[in-house]
Amino acid sequence: MEYDHDVIIVGAGPSGATISRILAQEGLDVMVFDKRKELGEPVRCGEGLGAREIVAQGIDIPKQCISTDIHGAKVISPDGSEIVWKDKETTGWVLERKMFDKWLMEQAVHKGARVQSYTRVFDLVKNDGKISGVKVTHGGRDPYEVTAPLIISAEGMEASLARKAGFRALSTLYDVDTCYQYEMQEYDHENLIELYFGNEVSPRGYVWIFPKADKKANVGIGIGAHLETGEKEGGIKGATPKEYLDRFIENHNQLKKASRLQDFGGVISVGAPIDSFAKDNFMVVGTGARQVDPIHGGGIALAMESGVMAASTILRAHKAKDYSEEFLSEYEKTWREGPGKKVATRLLLRKVMESAKDDDFNYIFKTITDKDLNDVMAGKFAGPVAKVVAGRPQLMTLLKALVS
Amino acid sequence: MPIEINHSRCIQCIGCASVCPTGAIELDGLRMVFHPEKCISCGACAKACPANAIRFIPKEGAKQEQEK
Repeated sequence: MEYDHDVIIVGAGPSGATISRILAQEGLDVMVFDKRKELGEPVRCGEGLGAREIVAQGIDIPKQCISTDIHGAKVISPDGSEIVWKDKETTGWVLERKMFDKWLMEQAVHKGARVQSYTRVFDLVKNDGKISGVKVTHGGRDPYEVTAPLIISAEGMEASLARKAGFRALSTLYDVDTCYQYEMQEYDHENLIELYFGNEVSPRGYVWIFPKADKKANVGIGIGAHLETGEKEGGIKGATPKEYLDRFIENHNQLKKASRLQDFGGVISVGAPIDSFAKDNFMVVGTGARQVDPIHGGGIALAMESGVMAASTILRAHKAKDYSEEFLSEYEKTWREGPGKKVATRLLLRKVMESAKDDDFNYIFKTITDKDLNDVMAGKFAGPVAKVVAGRPQLMTLLKALVS
Repeated sequence: MPIEINHSRCIQCIGCASVCPTGAIELDGLRMVFHPEKCISCGACAKACPANAIRFIPKEGAKQEQEK
């Protein structure tokens, strides 16, 4: 059968843009559909991005996409004690996410990919039971079909097409955090990410302050969506992140006088990746596959890294004219042996952290140093755990999963 | 109608759509739209909504699930 394109990608976020750039560079005919009216909008994200992964990919983010550089982090326990970790080098950035997403997609278009905004992909096209295209509508107008031998879902959290294709891309309330965030000004920051822990501040989560340019900051919260922390509309019990965030700001000396420039929010995955990333003629990449860091819910770096892996498999599949699940699973294998291992370690850490009481946080944050914190973030738990357990042996019950 | 979306509170974050097991809520253009015929009255959307923009009216049969 004659196809319209070599590959159709659904979603022009970081993974879709990365894959389309690489494929177009190699001469493939790539069509990207995005349901948003303007790429990059609306932002639903803390906008933080670690430097290491991006530098490793050889990507040079232009100035207009970066709000400010990050030089470390400050972690604050429920009783107010702090661990401060600073670095002379830039450890990451807080992005202008809207500009970043658009810029990343522009790079793909420069290489020859095509993208179409405000286009909703609402169903699959099948030919003799095989996926062979998608049904789309542009700006709510008459639906039409577009065909390709390979469809990539880079849809993000919602992953509705991936679900239609039979992937189990649906998170339980327990495996997501519900988040609310303000962009605020003025806030005197030191270019450090600040994280506030404690069950009073943010149950099963934390409050973050991500510094931005011109004394601005993203101040946000994520709490477990399964928690019943308050009464919601209609009288049911449910998670109330906005109420927690407003209370945090009210109790914060500087922020209570600051302005709110923007409200945003979202639901982030803090659970495990989905159980399969590929089927015949179809792949899932990025947040839709729950390729997300379970500690901070960050998905940009992983989406781009996964995009590179997926693109490499797609190029080989295109050459071999083989789009079978077996062939496409190469990408899944590479992913699970690489970033998948890190994600699994972080999931373990999240599950241990969610059982910690405020008193445990206080003790742990008083006992470990900035170097220990660095080890924990790198997945090296043995040293820090030994230190904590030496002073308070009863914490072994909580922490043993990290060292067994 | 088991849910009502309060559009003046909604911040179009699609959190509801991400946890809806049946695809009964989706972003269409700039607005969340609800497809009542797909809704199974589980309340996940209302529980997850960070903006408290969904008013959930439990059905008789779904009451137990919601109170667990």
